[in-house]
Amino acid sequence: MRAFYIRWVILLAIFGGIAGLGGLRYIREVKTISPKDVMAQSSVAGVRLMGMIEAGSFIKALAGEPFRFNLSEKGEKVAVVFSGEDTDSLLRELKTIVVVGRWDREAGVFHASEIALVPNYGFITSAYVFSLVPLGFFLFYMERRVALLYVMIKEEKAYQAETGQ
Amino acid sequence: MVATHFIGKLRKFEKWFGIVAGVLIAVGLYTGLVTSSPDYYQGEVVRIMYIHVPFAQTAMLAYSSLFLCSIWYLWKRESVVDNACHAAAGLSLFFTAGGLLTGSIWGKPTWNAWWVWDPRLTSFAIMFLTLVGYLMLRTFLDDKEKRATFSAILAIIGFIDLPIIHFSVEWWRSLHQPLSVSTRGVSIAPDMLIPFTLMSFGVGLLFTYMLMVRTQMLYLEHLLEAKQGRLLNEGQG
Repeated sequence: MRAFYIRWVILLAIFGGIAGLGGLRYIREVKTISPKDVMAQSSVAGVRLMGMIEAGSFIKALAGEPFRFNLSEKGEKVAVVFSGEDTDSLLRELKTIVVVGRWDREAGVFHASEIALVPNYGFITSAYVFSLVPLGFFLFYMERRVALLYVMIKEEKAYQAETGQ
Repeated sequence: MVATHFIGKLRKFEKWFGIVAGVLIAVGLYTGLVTSSPDYYQGEVVRIMYIHVPFAQTAMLAYSSLFLCSIWYLWKRESVVDNACHAAAGLSLFFTAGGLLTGSIWGKPTWNAWWVWDPRLTSFAIMFLTLVGYLMLRTFLDDKEKRATFSAILAIIGFIDLPIIHFSVEWWRSLHQPLSVSTRGVSIAPDMLIPFTLMSFGVGLLFTYMLMVRTQMLYLEHLLEAKQGRLLNEGQG
């Protein structure tokens, strides 16, 4: 039984490591902050800001001009200037989006270079946790039960396994 | 002797299925959660595909195993084959529930609904109910022979649902997306195809490994019960 538990500790370490790497990627590439959090920061680049485009604030870009709108969440709002192209028509009023770019605290403006969909990462985490954790428990229970049954059977001398010659 | 030989073979090969499944799933999870890129339309949520689709495919693979086991049982009448049928049904129910749950979680951000009465979803839910019925039937019958025979017949009848599940996205106008990998080609980006394929084969092999372990578990439980029953009778005699 000792080898059985060691095998499971190794398995947990491997899959825990993969979950950790997934978590690091989430922090590095996916995690967003709110308008309130970005306003509390000093000027910084590479920020992923999430919020809803405020009704009445959206100014569509003319030729050579950037898009301008306010992103709001929980009563706080940040003015955003987006100088890229809205090829996927993500920008419209009352739509929640993610903008990636640089926060200029002195000017009070967020200069966005990219726009992205809301990551909805909670759904991804739930799907993996609700499927893989029960799978792990189920597998652990079955393997342990079989190992114990072989011990009990051996004691009872009810079954003699074939050597596979 | 047939049962001992069968269980001996399972013990001999099970670990290789377990090792290969573990490696494929580990690499599949790493590529799916860490290195693959988000989808153009769905964004990050597409990562649910790498667990939902393998679970759903494996649920159908498990039911197909149950179907084959049931035919085999009705033909040979070996109790160890009935153990394999019982094991396949339990695992099929587990993967079907997993497929439904992960599908429901994926449906909310993409369709804005946890559940819709779509042909694919409905036919999959029917498979879930068939398996619940199968396992309930097994608990209702005390006679071993009758239990094995009636449950095998139910499993064979329930198999009608599998082609309906598979072709539902082609036969009816469905909200569920059509097959991404079929004989007509592959409609999935290469860097998404790698984790998708690894996870599909990994979970499929893991099912095979679990089927081998669970069959042994059920067989040994019956063996032990029979042995203890004999000892009890001898003691009373």
